[in-house]
Amino acid sequence: MRRKIKITAVVLMTLVFSLLLSGNVLAQEEDHYGGTLNAALQMSVAHLDSDNSTDSLITAMMNHVYEGLFEFDENLNLTPHLAESYQIGEDGLVYDVKLRENVTMHNGQTMNADDVIASFKRWLELNNGGQLVSPYFDRVEKIDQYNIRFKFKEPYAPFLNILASPVSNQKFVVRAEEVVNEFGSDVIDRHVGTGPYKYEEWVPDQKLVLTRFEDYSPSPREGSFFAGERIPYLDKIVFNFIPDAQVRVSGVQTGQFHFAEEVPRDQYSLFEANPNIDNVIIYPDRMSMLIFNNANPPFDNKYARQAIAYALDFEELGYAMIGNPKFWRLEPALHEEGNPWHVPDAGKGIYGVYDPEKAKELLDRAGYDGSPIVILSGQDNAMERQGAIAIQDQLEKIGVEVELQLFDRPTVVERRAKKEGWHIHLSPFIKIVPDPQIHQGWTGTNKWISNWDSEESREMDQIFAEMLKEVDQEKRYKIVERMEAKLWDAVPYFNILDYSRLHIKRAELKNFKGSWQPFFWNTYLE
Amino acid sequence: MLFLKKYKRYKHPYITTSIIILIIIAFLSLFAPLLTDYNPVRNDARNRLQPPSYQHFLGTDQFGRDVFTRILYGIRTSMEVGLAVVLLTVIFGGIVGVMAGYYSQIDKIVMRILDALMAFPGIIIAISLAAIWGAGKLNIILALSFAYFPKMARIVRSAVISIKDLDYVDSARSVGAKDSRIIFKYILKNSASPIMVQATFNFALAILDEAALSFLGVGIMPPAPSLGAMVTDARTYMVVAPWMILAPGIMIILAVLSLNLLGDGLRDLLDPHLKNTLKK
Repeated sequence: MRRKIKITAVVLMTLVFSLLLSGNVLAQEEDHYGGTLNAALQMSVAHLDSDNSTDSLITAMMNHVYEGLFEFDENLNLTPHLAESYQIGEDGLVYDVKLRENVTMHNGQTMNADDVIASFKRWLELNNGGQLVSPYFDRVEKIDQYNIRFKFKEPYAPFLNILASPVSNQKFVVRAEEVVNEFGSDVIDRHVGTGPYKYEEWVPDQKLVLTRFEDYSPSPREGSFFAGERIPYLDKIVFNFIPDAQVRVSGVQTGQFHFAEEVPRDQYSLFEANPNIDNVIIYPDRMSMLIFNNANPPFDNKYARQAIAYALDFEELGYAMIGNPKFWRLEPALHEEGNPWHVPDAGKGIYGVYDPEKAKELLDRAGYDGSPIVILSGQDNAMERQGAIAIQDQLEKIGVEVELQLFDRPTVVERRAKKEGWHIHLSPFIKIVPDPQIHQGWTGTNKWISNWDSEESREMDQIFAEMLKEVDQEKRYKIVERMEAKLWDAVPYFNILDYSRLHIKRAELKNFKGSWQPFFWNTYLE
Repeated sequence: MLFLKKYKRYKHPYITTSIIILIIIAFLSLFAPLLTDYNPVRNDARNRLQPPSYQHFLGTDQFGRDVFTRILYGIRTSMEVGLAVVLLTVIFGGIVGVMAGYYSQIDKIVMRILDALMAFPGIIIAISLAAIWGAGKLNIILALSFAYFPKMARIVRSAVISIKDLDYVDSARSVGAKDSRIIFKYILKNSASPIMVQATFNFALAILDEAALSFLGVGIMPPAPSLGAMVTDARTYMVVAPWMILAPGIMIILAVLSLNLLGDGLRDLLDPHLKNTLKK
């Protein structure tokens, strides 16, 4: 009897111990799960329908709720996401896309071709990206539940890149068919997607609350930025809209927020000294563009435009415009290093060559008469304001008289649209773009504000026309090389440098990746 | 001169202090180019946000410009604006005030218009005018003068009214003196003290408002140095480069404080009713 009890006791003890141990092991794996994340974003949004707005913040937040057929990974490589695979027809007119099976949507149904086609038609009609595509597009066909065929009238090479575009209001996301039918072209306020988080509550001007979607079907690929596996560790994500930068900063300092978007770069060293705060420097995803008014003397002549590139000390400008060299780098190409479209020797011999003597020589050659150069720039954005002041200083050093015109944004927009009254304008551009074709929007004859209309601008139009039709990646890259070479010869505008934004996060938020738009899957709280 | 005689007698401490500060400020702004090796607008961005050191007495700003140099030239701008505004308000306020005070026929119309102008705070008028005309030193001077002259006119007018019926004016009129002679020789000379006091206050106010306008971005255009604009720029860097905001801030305080003290002192000194309190 006693022996029996002893054995039972031993067995019980062993059981309890093994349970405890296994519990520990399990706990270590499960540890990452749980918690509510509070993020402070810099602006509020009007609504949450990304097809109906140019606001990049909508895309950034709703990336947690909706997913695309294709997404970009860390190196801006196009990766199938809700799609399993794709095939492009020989002539570039047909795209066959196979969808992943068994992807559950937030309404419990399985995503199929009907959802994708309904969302795609809405995207084509409403979204800016869709409107770029639609002149070349013919129709979309359903082959079966999980196979779709996109047909084009004319080849449109950037198609897939635009579908996954990181630029606001271009990306294509898959919504449930019932929602698309319910709202049509109206602003959607019921959100049924396939993402790792689902919509819970939105208080305008205050916050957006998302909760974990328990039945989420992750992509089998390895997670990298927006592509691949997304693991929803956090129970809840709360996006708070806090327009004042200093309030975002103090929120993180006190622990109210785990993450704050775009904080002052000059406070970097303060954050670094605080053990509870981590700096997140975003890969340089902005460019500061110097745009010439190509219509009027002296900049109707390419030698005068080249002269300005020689006259400026770009490194000095980096310090004046942005400050700490951690936040900027010199980059002559329109696509950054690591991007498949990066052209390493763009602007060779002119970009970053500080040669005031040559600048004077070129100005003489262009017949510059010494009349004052008007720099038109915004005064609210530090980059534009400080850049304009620094450029004025450098041009005055080589004896060019400069008149500085700093205005608020609406006035600048109004004045730069005119043909007269300005010579040089500074503007920030988004560096991370899905496809080189995007540059066609402001590069070419009389595009955007450049007033560029010459033999050279027409050659540039020709280059972009070729690029549009070429679907072979390698041949297309050659065309991009020609585009960059032409750009640095004619210089209708040029990139001074690329610069970064600074986010901060609490140290307890782990595995956060600084991408062009913040995302919180795969991150967890400790 | 009456003022100097009185000053010698009473040695008002406000006036002594303020005049010492003012002389220093005037010296700094007059001899700015001799006091520094740097140019106030030339950049040296590689040496941005340097703390105060032997080379840069008050550190450098976000363009690597020497803050001390910018303050010297900034106070120069402030002084220029202040002096010009005072001159313009005294001239125009004086003319309007004398007209209104001496000729009672036009008094009612002119003063009602001035009342309407005075209903708006001066800085609001100045901001709207600067916004319409555009930023720049000349426009600021005109805008501020326009904002201040109604008050000056009112003060001159009341001085003229109280003097014009005094016996010595009557006697001058009875011997056939012309209006112009009466105004300049008898009335203006004797209303000099309130004008002087008001002018001093206007000077201080002009410096402060120029700083405010530049702070708001409708004042002196960058890169020209202005104390107000320096404070605006420094706001972003306050936690990492406190010298950038402290130095121009203290300079504004010194200039305005000394002028206000001078104004108070002058009022005490020139006011016949306060003479007895001073004696004690």
